[in-house]
Amino acid sequence: MASQSQDESTSIQDIFDAALNLEDTHYKSGYDEGFSDGLLTGKDEARYVGLKSGFETGEELGFYRGCIDVWNSAIKIDPLCFSTRVQKSIKQMDELVSKYPFNDPENELATDVVEGLRLKFKAVCATLNVKLEYDGYPKSSDVGF
Amino acid sequence: MTTSIADELYSEILEQSNGEMNSKSTSLANHFNSSDSHEDELWNEDGLSWNGSNNDSEKESDLDREWQRRRDQFHTIGYRDGLIAGKEASAQKGFNTGFSESVFVGYKWGLVRGVGSALACLPVAVSKRLVESEEKRNKYLHLHESVNGLSTSDALKLFHDDISKSVEKQNDQPMPTSDKEEEHTPGSSDTLLVTYYKDMQALILESPALEVDFEIPK
Repeated sequence: MASQSQDESTSIQDIFDAALNLEDTHYKSGYDEGFSDGLLTGKDEARYVGLKSGFETGEELGFYRGCIDVWNSAIKIDPLCFSTRVQKSIKQMDELVSKYPFNDPENELATDVVEGLRLKFKAVCATLNVKLEYDGYPKSSDVGF
Repeated sequence: MTTSIADELYSEILEQSNGEMNSKSTSLANHFNSSDSHEDELWNEDGLSWNGSNNDSEKESDLDREWQRRRDQFHTIGYRDGLIAGKEASAQKGFNTGFSESVFVGYKWGLVRGVGSALACLPVAVSKRLVESEEKRNKYLHLHESVNGLSTSDALKLFHDDISKSVEKQNDQPMPTSDKEEEHTPGSSDTLLVTYYKDMQALILESPALEVDFEIPK
């Protein structure tokens, strides 16, 4: 008789367990569906963010490379056209651009390189007394990762 | 007869009734026993009705609706949580994909801007020695002016159009018409960004004093 009442209570437990498990099952199946959809849409959305960021970063670095190469060509022709201080800054910029991890946007070095380049570039432009900027020039906030 | 719950539960009552109605004690005990089994049947019937064997169809559809509602509710909650988790899981990968697709396009474009800007800002004496022919210097200047007319967001928009076009092209590839179009108009696929880059590259190649690294960085 004791065993009978126990049976009854476990069978009631089973009913609730089944109901709870079903809720779990529905949640899980929804979760799995959402996860695989999320993988796709997330990748797509993030790709567009990456496209924008990559283009802006690439443009900024390419811009510096173009400037550096022109300046270096000028120094070759006329070693006295820039002061030694400016020439040193140009050399440092050159090294920074070469160091940039183009194929690894997750690399923490990236931000340091860009920050360093901006500082040097500003310094060079100030001493050369030229204004080298254009519309839409990437602001530091735009190139954050 | 084995002892049952009924015996134990009702033994007191049975005893009382024994006192009151001695003659009917046996039948009463039987009655209780039978009523116990009858209750079991009722319980079973009730249990079955939950599985939908109830004839009351209205009640059944109510249950179905409730069931469906709860299923949808949990499914939706799960879907929302899964969607967020899935997005987070693939965000970095997606970002990296996009970044690597665009960084060198941007780099080339920036190179064109940089060479043009730096040349335009050089002291005239130096730029005259770098690019000796005046005609070429004007070409550089002209290119620099056109390039400078485009802001980064303009360039980004052009780049975005390029990508959309190339995606369309990929989708159209099995169609024979797109192949024909490409054959008929060679070079038309060059967009403004690429055209400026090629113009700049051609100019620099004609200026030996100007050493610009066109290599895509590693």
